[in-house]
Amino acid sequence: MAQKIAHVDDDPDIRDAVSRILRMNGYDVDTYLTMEDFINSLQDAGNLPDLAILDVMVESMDAGLITYKQIHERYPTMQAIFLTSLGDMIRPYFEDGSYKWVCVVEKPVEPESLLSIIRERLEDTKATMNSSQKT
Amino acid sequence: MATFDFSWNKANDQNVSPATISSGPKLNDEILITNIRWFIIFRWGVIAALIAFEILATLSSETLIKFGIIDLKDWPISIILALSIANFAYAHALKHRELSLFHNPTINLWVQIVVDLVCLSVVVHFVGSTATPAPFFYVLHIVLACIFFSTRESLLVTFLVCAMYTFVLLFENPIFIQLPQSGVIDAHPSIESRQSNRVLLWMFVLNTLFFIIWYVVSRLSMVVREHEMRLLDAYRQINQTQVEKDQYAVLMTHQLKSPLDAIRSKINLIKAGYCGESSQETKDVLMKIDKRAKNMAGLILDLLRLERLKQTCIDCADTATLKPVDICRTLQKSIDKLKPVTKAKNVDIHVSIENFAYHGIPDQLEILLENIISNAITYSFDGGSVEVTSCIDQANDTASLTITDHGIGIEGKDLPNIFNEYFYSPRAVTHNQASSGVGLSIVKKAAENNNLQIKVNSEPGQGTSFTVIFQHVQLLSDAIK
Repeated sequence: MAQKIAHVDDDPDIRDAVSRILRMNGYDVDTYLTMEDFINSLQDAGNLPDLAILDVMVESMDAGLITYKQIHERYPTMQAIFLTSLGDMIRPYFEDGSYKWVCVVEKPVEPESLLSIIRERLEDTKATMNSSQKT
Repeated sequence: MATFDFSWNKANDQNVSPATISSGPKLNDEILITNIRWFIIFRWGVIAALIAFEILATLSSETLIKFGIIDLKDWPISIILALSIANFAYAHALKHRELSLFHNPTINLWVQIVVDLVCLSVVVHFVGSTATPAPFFYVLHIVLACIFFSTRESLLVTFLVCAMYTFVLLFENPIFIQLPQSGVIDAHPSIESRQSNRVLLWMFVLNTLFFIIWYVVSRLSMVVREHEMRLLDAYRQINQTQVEKDQYAVLMTHQLKSPLDAIRSKINLIKAGYCGESSQETKDVLMKIDKRAKNMAGLILDLLRLERLKQTCIDCADTATLKPVDICRTLQKSIDKLKPVTKAKNVDIHVSIENFAYHGIPDQLEILLENIISNAITYSFDGGSVEVTSCIDQANDTASLTITDHGIGIEGKDLPNIFNEYFYSPRAVTHNQASSGVGLSIVKKAAENNNLQIKVNSEPGQGTSFTVIFQHVQLLSDAIK
């Protein structure tokens, strides 16, 4: 079964680029225009993604960060990646140490590096789940 | 070969910190402690004057009597001893005891004022309460109380001064207390009566003067404190504006860079074959478009970086905090980030350094090293090399990190200007069209914020070396060879 990835971005060209790359590499992709749409979609347990790709500045300066905090609390195993135009420049907006939980990728979308980060993150999830099942 | 030293001292033009501005109805503890220390030094001066006075009295007591100073006896020695013991006690309390409800700068100052007033009253009594200017020294205490205490507390000091002076007068003139009992109206006033009138006049005039001085100085002090409060408010507003300015800069950067990122994402899709096959000619054109867009995106981010560095205020909330930084780790991180550029230029980076820690702003030190190394790579010839070496001077606790390239170099006439914003050297632009002219301004700001000195050594056509000089470093055991 294909792994599920949610992508939230208000830029249609970025949404198109990311979904095209991921679908052509066998992932199941859901795209959302706003963080609210994404949060609402999580109410359906069958709709939980394995990984979320979040833009930071959607609707407001830190909508992505707030959403990330919410999903990290509710679904700690769900992996997340920030895909932002500002790259490392958003680091000052993270609270102490929270940047360690998440990966920040600077736009533009580069197919090879994006895929490699996603694979690495999803393997981390598998490893975490396997170790929790053993214990 | 041209060499140029660059050093920037942030401390000279650092903004005023709110800690140095007083708050509330009186001065904050930090300023009070500074002034207590000043008082203690001042009191040593007074003690020295009293010693000189005592020596003068021993050598020529008659001269003092001529000036109306009645009887010296042993009071100067007693006052010298009392003030000296008190001074040691204040200094000890300030240095060795922790602050508490009953031991704080305000209590310390109050004790000093009361002890000083008692000593001054003794001096006034022996030197002459109505015949010499000694009582005018009470004014000093009122003025200082107005400056360092709230209006109410300074009024209390003024009452205390009046009470002390009145007590001295009454103590010296017991007849004055007995006056109401005599109750005889005499057309030719006796010597006692004239004396009591004189004392009454001094008491009235000086006590009134004390209150007038309290009123004038406390009003002035209130005006000064009001201005200080306004300054503090202005400072808070500036800080708030800085935060808003940063948010605005971030927003603008995002809005400017987003369309470029969308364009470049599409280009990347085509280049990677996600939109079907494209001709080599199309790929070449797309590569050129991508290169220009990438340069523009880099410039936009550099401008935001520079703006943030300019706003840095050491130890102010929200901007930067100094921490011990592991230089080896920071350097490695910078080199890792630059791997794509290194690969594209086919440049080798050779690192051979001894590790040390420097107390600086971690992010900014990383930006500084990243920019210098990035410059070294960019201005190297294809297939060249960049060396990173260190030199630690353990005797002086200093260290230097040198980044050397063997690239195009900088002409002597350009060298003094390389850290200026938007400075372009025609040779540099020919070699690298992507130059934004901001990279070394970022280095300059980061060096300034971290109190670093940079030495640049260059020979056109031979290469350039940037030496970053760190003061007060701590040697660490690991190294990169």
